[in-house]
Amino acid sequence: MSDRKTLQIKQISGHSGPAAGFDMQRDYEVCKLIDTTICIGCKACEVACVEWNDMPFTPTTFDNTYQTMPSTSYHFWNLIKFNEHQREDGTVQWLMRKDQCMHCADPGCLRACPADGAIVQYTNGIVDFQQENCIGCEFCVSGCPYDIPKFNPATKKVYKCTLCSDRVGQGLEPACIKACPTGCLKFGSKDDMKFIAEERAKQLRENFGFEKAGVYDPQSIGGTHVVYVLHDAENPERYGGLPKNPVIPWSYTVWKWLFKPVLGTFALFGLLGVLLHYVTVGPRRAQPEPPIKERES
Amino acid sequence: MSTAIDRFDDKTRGAFGQIGQTEVYEGELLRHRVYTRFLHWMVALFFFLALFTGFGIYMPWLFRWFTPIFGGGPLSREMHPWFGLGFVIFFGLQALNWIKPMTWTAADTKWMVNLRKIIGGQEKMEPPDTGFFNGGQKMQFWEIASGCIVYLITGMILWFGARVFGRWAVAVSYVLHDISALIMLGGIFIHIYLSTIGQSGTFQAMIRGAVSEAWAWTFHPAWYKQVTGRDPVGACEEARRKASAK
Amino acid sequence: MTNGWIDIKNTDMMLIMGGNPAENHPCGFKWPIEAKLHRNAKTIVVDPRLTRTAATADLFLQIRAGSDIAFLGGLIHYAVENNRIAHEYLVNYTNAALIIKDKFKLPDDGLYSGFDPERKTYDKSTWNYEEGGDLTGKPVEPTPAKQYEQPAPHPAAKRAVPAVPPPPALPPKTAFDLSLQHPRCVFQLLKKQYERYTPEMVERITGIPKDQFLKAADMFTSVRKDGDMKKVATIIYAVGWTQHSFGTQIIRTAAMLQLLLGNVGRAGGGVNALRGHSNIQGATDMAGVFDILPGYLKVPTPADTDFAAYLKRITPNPAKPDPWDSFNYWSNTPKFAVSFLKAMYGPSATKENDWAFNYLPKADRNYSWVNLWNEMYEGKVKGLFAFGMNGVMIGPDSQKNIDALKKADWLVVCEIYPDETSEFWRAPGISADEMKKINTTVYRLPGAGFAEKDGTFVNSARWLQWKNVALPPPGQARLDQEILATIFLNVRELYRKEGGKFPDPILNASFAYTNPYNPSLTEMAKEINGKALADLTDPKTSVTIKAGQQLPGFSWLKDDGTTLSGNWLYCGSWTEAGALTQRRGTEDPSGLGIYPNWAWSWPMNRRVLYNRASCDLNGKPWDPSRRQVWWDEAKQSWVGNDIPDFKADSPPKDHMGPFIMNPEGVGRLFVPLGAMADGPFPEYYEPIESPIANVLHPNQSNNPVVKKYKTDADKYGTVDQGYNVICTTYRLTEHYHYWTKNNPMNVQLVPEPFVEVPAELADRMGIRGGEKVKVTSARSHYIAKAMVTRRIRPMKIDGKETFQIGIPIHWGFRGIAEDEDKTAKTLTNQLTPTVIDPNAYTPEFKGFLVKIEKV
Repeated sequence: MSDRKTLQIKQISGHSGPAAGFDMQRDYEVCKLIDTTICIGCKACEVACVEWNDMPFTPTTFDNTYQTMPSTSYHFWNLIKFNEHQREDGTVQWLMRKDQCMHCADPGCLRACPADGAIVQYTNGIVDFQQENCIGCEFCVSGCPYDIPKFNPATKKVYKCTLCSDRVGQGLEPACIKACPTGCLKFGSKDDMKFIAEERAKQLRENFGFEKAGVYDPQSIGGTHVVYVLHDAENPERYGGLPKNPVIPWSYTVWKWLFKPVLGTFALFGLLGVLLHYVTVGPRRAQPEPPIKERES
Repeated sequence: MSTAIDRFDDKTRGAFGQIGQTEVYEGELLRHRVYTRFLHWMVALFFFLALFTGFGIYMPWLFRWFTPIFGGGPLSREMHPWFGLGFVIFFGLQALNWIKPMTWTAADTKWMVNLRKIIGGQEKMEPPDTGFFNGGQKMQFWEIASGCIVYLITGMILWFGARVFGRWAVAVSYVLHDISALIMLGGIFIHIYLSTIGQSGTFQAMIRGAVSEAWAWTFHPAWYKQVTGRDPVGACEEARRKASAK
Repeated sequence: MTNGWIDIKNTDMMLIMGGNPAENHPCGFKWPIEAKLHRNAKTIVVDPRLTRTAATADLFLQIRAGSDIAFLGGLIHYAVENNRIAHEYLVNYTNAALIIKDKFKLPDDGLYSGFDPERKTYDKSTWNYEEGGDLTGKPVEPTPAKQYEQPAPHPAAKRAVPAVPPPPALPPKTAFDLSLQHPRCVFQLLKKQYERYTPEMVERITGIPKDQFLKAADMFTSVRKDGDMKKVATIIYAVGWTQHSFGTQIIRTAAMLQLLLGNVGRAGGGVNALRGHSNIQGATDMAGVFDILPGYLKVPTPADTDFAAYLKRITPNPAKPDPWDSFNYWSNTPKFAVSFLKAMYGPSATKENDWAFNYLPKADRNYSWVNLWNEMYEGKVKGLFAFGMNGVMIGPDSQKNIDALKKADWLVVCEIYPDETSEFWRAPGISADEMKKINTTVYRLPGAGFAEKDGTFVNSARWLQWKNVALPPPGQARLDQEILATIFLNVRELYRKEGGKFPDPILNASFAYTNPYNPSLTEMAKEINGKALADLTDPKTSVTIKAGQQLPGFSWLKDDGTTLSGNWLYCGSWTEAGALTQRRGTEDPSGLGIYPNWAWSWPMNRRVLYNRASCDLNGKPWDPSRRQVWWDEAKQSWVGNDIPDFKADSPPKDHMGPFIMNPEGVGRLFVPLGAMADGPFPEYYEPIESPIANVLHPNQSNNPVVKKYKTDADKYGTVDQGYNVICTTYRLTEHYHYWTKNNPMNVQLVPEPFVEVPAELADRMGIRGGEKVKVTSARSHYIAKAMVTRRIRPMKIDGKETFQIGIPIHWGFRGIAEDEDKTAKTLTNQLTPTVIDPNAYTPEFKGFLVKIEKV
């Protein structure tokens, strides 16, 4: 396996032909592992993300929580969500989950995006927004099961975590991974991360009494390139609304890849129809018309 | 209610009549008043603005050459709902203006049954009971009216987005919005064709507001009869006689 | 830390209490995580609220702030009752077997023997070992009390402190009973002392339900289940333990528990203080406290009329069972002291003038933090240099500190931001008229930030790590050493010109730096390490060090003036081989995380202190999979992966104690004589402001030797006055003390001050999250938004429903949010009481009483 993690394109949103560069080079899928059971909510990843991506500081307000802001924003792509969960025995579990783009294998944003090349998926699994092609239609926002793409009203384009494709393309780990002090964030190949995650979940089940511990890698969207280890994989919703079975609205798939071109063609038939009418039947005229001199038969 | 609409329409028609004017020459009939023509072209303008910006969103890879006209993709996207809103508002006024002549009648149903003959060119003259608007025109009118309602609802959902309405509402609206646009697009080809090269003498109705009497008795015989009090077929035959006499 | 950050990865069990490492030491917290991941180590977190540390714990217990000794005492009781103790370790490596004097009395009524109620101090003469031999198996007879060797009181000393008799000394040959059956042996006394700390008692005092306590006790002591010595447990704490009027005793209780379980000196064990600043360990090592000199040499008192008297007082003699050996490393004190004086005064320190001993200031009273402010408040202290600290914010009772500064003549603040101390005169509540009446002259000096300086940080693991300058100081900002040296040289010039009462210490201070106005820290560090002033030869190895060469370690220090060292503990950090503090070797051959070539750790690069105790009596590691050091019979020497913290050639058969800094050579379950002001065993006392009277002894509720301050500013609240909610204070991971409120990034993460309020209390008070609340103590009030949370639960204290709230300390009246008028500009420490721990003089920032109301 090549060590190079160059960014070979796999899919391009709204693109009419084959993706340039697809299947040109052997590559492996990358993955970010987030072990929520050892996340301490220190927000180093938040700061690293803001700093690496050179995003501006934004004023926030106190909201009865340790969470920096209610959700990720167009210039805050990485947010730890804090949730207090009261167990049946009355004790409280404080859950912290780093929220960011999940880099789905089947990305809802890319499915929904009509703009040519505004969203690309690389063969290594990174789903990246190319803002120069973005038209700001925000369909990706509704396509995403995780509420990740965020519209910037100033630039009128949509932004999200890039999994630091700029760093990964150079063989570096994403900035959040680099900043994580406890190692609850790991980065590597999907196979390796999945293996580590499953091992950790097994350890949690066998040695730490978390019987429902498991790995979050939802197959409903073909898996994600960000996987979580959860104390309770049966209730991911507790971790700040992580959907158990994320889905992409069927309308995008059916509409965009089937009916859109077909019906578009039908609309063009209207043009074709009137054209044919003109040349075959001919225009209607106010009566009485001049007398007919000759008729083709 | 209807009287209130009538009063509003009458008032605005009067006001526009004072701003602009319509000259009807000998041998012509007044078809569309200034107000009607103004509304029509505003609807048309916003329709095309919304259409072209919409193309840029619908299939950017095909229509991306449209978007620079509007300042690029994001600006097209930003302006599209405003254009759409203009279209809906002007069409709404037109609908009020036209609510009476566009009312569906038994003659329209008959007209629709007879459609094939008209398309095929076998019937040179419209059926004698064809009024100010024929069944096809009314059908398109109501298609646009219902399309506007779909636009308005789905457009608002798309405009304010998943944050307000939820991602499923957006995902469904996206499809309905597009379907509505495609139906309207198909219709608009026919509309343009018939009002220009497909039916000579029609275009001036929306330009000058006046049509020839011949046009009137040919395409809207019942209306001709209503405004002139003469029998359209008779008038046509008389004209034919006069022409052959020359 | 007895161990180190990385070493935590070797543990099997963690008790994290009085500290919140996940929030305040997030980088260090990777090592507890490593232990979890790779050793299946369990974590018990005991805290007044469910912190981010607790969020990762296997068991979290909510404790009433300040009741830690009751909990830990309960653990000791449980361990002893259930025989979850390390018997061989206890007998041989601790003073469990040593016998205590007959007259010694346990504090059933809250007082140990020898209490003087008038002076609120103890006569500690009965807190001592009995003299005698091996009493194992012998019948118990009362032994006559006898005074041991005492330094002769100097006439001058008598004048200065007439009422204090010189302290008695430890007996040279202590009596002992290896069967631990003697009723006055330390173990039996300890057993008796903590008999009262039953699970029921723990529940009444701490609010931790009995079943939860027992679960924690079983879990923690499970490392010694069935006498197994392989497993190791660690205790991790921070200022949540120190900031009480009995803070030192909390830590003592933890130390005792660890000695009972045989966890000290072992990889993955120990008692581990997490220091609250990047260099607080260095500050303490280098005499950041008023009563110590660098290297923990004691500061002279007026009783130390000459150097000999001083040395006699501070140099201990061995005191141990006769058959045992004791290294008594502090017997080298004279070498350290003379070398220190040579560093201070250079050629002016000669044998003839007692190495210039009389140049050293003599501490005639307590000059600790709170006392300084108290004396300024009383008008006795007239000026203050505030470098690298924000005294107004630190408190306690910030309002008292502000009022104290109003009375000062001058204030010099060296800072990187305009702070509350330098702008105390415009604290909220001071009117324009009042402001005009403040005559304090404030000098503000632009300091350099930590990234703008080189030098070392000494971390909690005692590593001296050299750092480089990241960028130069901006604008007019100057390095600390440049500012201090300039002031010093100018003051010295004044002394030279104008004389003065006693100019010699200033004029003769050694200041031979290449650029005296801006001494390089390299030169400083080399001076602190020390060098030879004459050619030295080691008689054993014949190795010679030439005059002027850097010393390789403190074993070379001499008391004859031929060596110089600014701090004996740091001797070996900058040798002829160069700056060991700059090493970045990442080799870890043992896999124990020792990293011997990374930076340098005092003492002599030892990573785990007392590591002799990681082996059994024969010098074999208790756990062969975690081999730190061991006795090599062939080499007749202690060898290992770590540097043995022991006399290298002392064979196990000589039975030298592993705790080489104690004259006994063994770990102290019982602290004899005057080492602790408030008792040889820790006893549970209530915080000064407490919702209940002490359940153990209601008539002696508080620490008997704690003195309340007497100025009009010092008010202490009670439940009867309506102060019925317990309040604790802490830091957040998103902020660093009082300066990140000037950094937009940190402010973005947590923008405003808040008060954490239990949901049940909020419901009762009609407070909703985000609404402003006013917290009032007997001293002042604090206003911030409420964070209504279920992470603090209501608790039953002695059967009474009690609530705790928590306030982060970070906000004041200068900063981004403050300058934008987004906060109420009240200071957390306006609430805290001026009362201090009698041993370490740390204020009681945690566990005081308040009332809370909706604004």
